[in-house]
Amino acid sequence: MLKGIITLLIFQFLGECISIVFSLLVPGPVIGMVLLLIFLIIRKSSFKSLDTSVTVLLKYLPLLFIPAAMGIITQVDLISREFWAIFIALIVGTLVALAFCAKLMDYLTIRKENKS
Amino acid sequence: MNFEALNDYISSTPLTWLILTLLAYKIGIIIYEKCNKHTLLQPVIISYIILLSLVFFTNTSFEKYFKSVEIIHFFLGPATVALALPLYNNLKYIRQLFLPIIITLIVAGIFSVLIAVLLLWVFGASTVTILSMTTKSITAPIAIITSEQIGAIPSLAIGFVIITGIIGALFGSIVFKIVKIKHETSKGFALGLVSHGIGTARAIEISEKAAAFAALAMGLSGIFTAVFLPVIIEFLKDFISF
Repeated sequence: MLKGIITLLIFQFLGECISIVFSLLVPGPVIGMVLLLIFLIIRKSSFKSLDTSVTVLLKYLPLLFIPAAMGIITQVDLISREFWAIFIALIVGTLVALAFCAKLMDYLTIRKENKS
Repeated sequence: MNFEALNDYISSTPLTWLILTLLAYKIGIIIYEKCNKHTLLQPVIISYIILLSLVFFTNTSFEKYFKSVEIIHFFLGPATVALALPLYNNLKYIRQLFLPIIITLIVAGIFSVLIAVLLLWVFGASTVTILSMTTKSITAPIAIITSEQIGAIPSLAIGFVIITGIIGALFGSIVFKIVKIKHETSKGFALGLVSHGIGTARAIEISEKAAAFAALAMGLSGIFTAVFLPVIIEFLKDFISF
C-alpha cells in the first residue's frame, strides 16, 4: 500500500509544481490526476498497491470533505437571505440538467446505432 | 486531581475533534447500512448533522474546528489524484461511443451550469452564491479546490454538490421515465455527469454498465470543469470590470 500512497503523493506534487511553474489556473491535484491517467495509459495497467490505496481513499471520500463542509456555519446569513433562489436553482436546475443530458446522450447513441 | 488541566487539554488538543469527526462518520456508516443504504441517510449527511450540532452547542469556531481536523482535509489532494484509477478502468467504454460521450460531456456539462446560474440570476442571488453554484455537478474534492480557485465559498460549494447529488439520485429514475430514455448507458452517463459520486452509486443499481458510464462521466466532467471553469471565470471578471 505504501508504494500506492507514494505514487499518489508524487503525482499530486508534480501536478502542483506544474500548476505553479506555468501559473496555470487548473488546480494542481487535477493536473496530478491527468498525469496519473496518462501514466496508467502508457503503462497499460495499474498495480496492486495503487489499487489498494485508491480503494481505501475513495471508500472514505465523503469523510474527507467534512472539514471544509463544516464552514457552512459561517454562511448561515447568506443562505437564509437567498434561500429560495438557491432552493429553486438546485431542484429545477438538477432535474432539467438530468433530463437534458440523458436525452442528448440517448439521441446521439441511437443516431450512431442507426448509422452503423 | 487536576481537572482544570484536563479541561484545558481536552479543549485544546486536535484529538478531540478528530476523534469526534471520525466517530460521527462511523455512526453515519452504521445508520446508513442499518437503513438499507437509503440515499437520504448517506453517512456524510448523518455525520454532518451530528458534527454541526456538536460545534454549535460547544460554541466552537469554524477556524478552531478546521485546524483540529486539517489532517483529514489534507487527503483531498491525494484523493483527487486517485480518481484517475476508476477513470482509467472505464476508459475502454469511450471507444464504443466516442462522439456521443464527448458531445454530451461538453454540451450537457455547460448546459447544467448555465441553467443553475440563470435561475439564480433571475431570482436575484449574489455573485458569490452564483460562483459557488458553478461547481455543483462535479465530484466534491475537485469542487472544493476549483471553488477556492475561482473565488467562491468552498463550504457553500460542497453543500450544493451534496444536494445536487442527492436530488439526482432520488429523482433520476422518474426523470428518465418521463423523457423516455432508452439506453442504460445514457442514464448512467447523465447520473455521473450531473450527480457525480452519489449519482454513480445510484447507477450501480441500474446496471454495471450504467455505473461504468457514470464513473466515466464523473471523471471526465471533473477534469473538464477544473480546466475550463477558472479560465472562463477569469475572462468574465476582466470583461465585467472593463
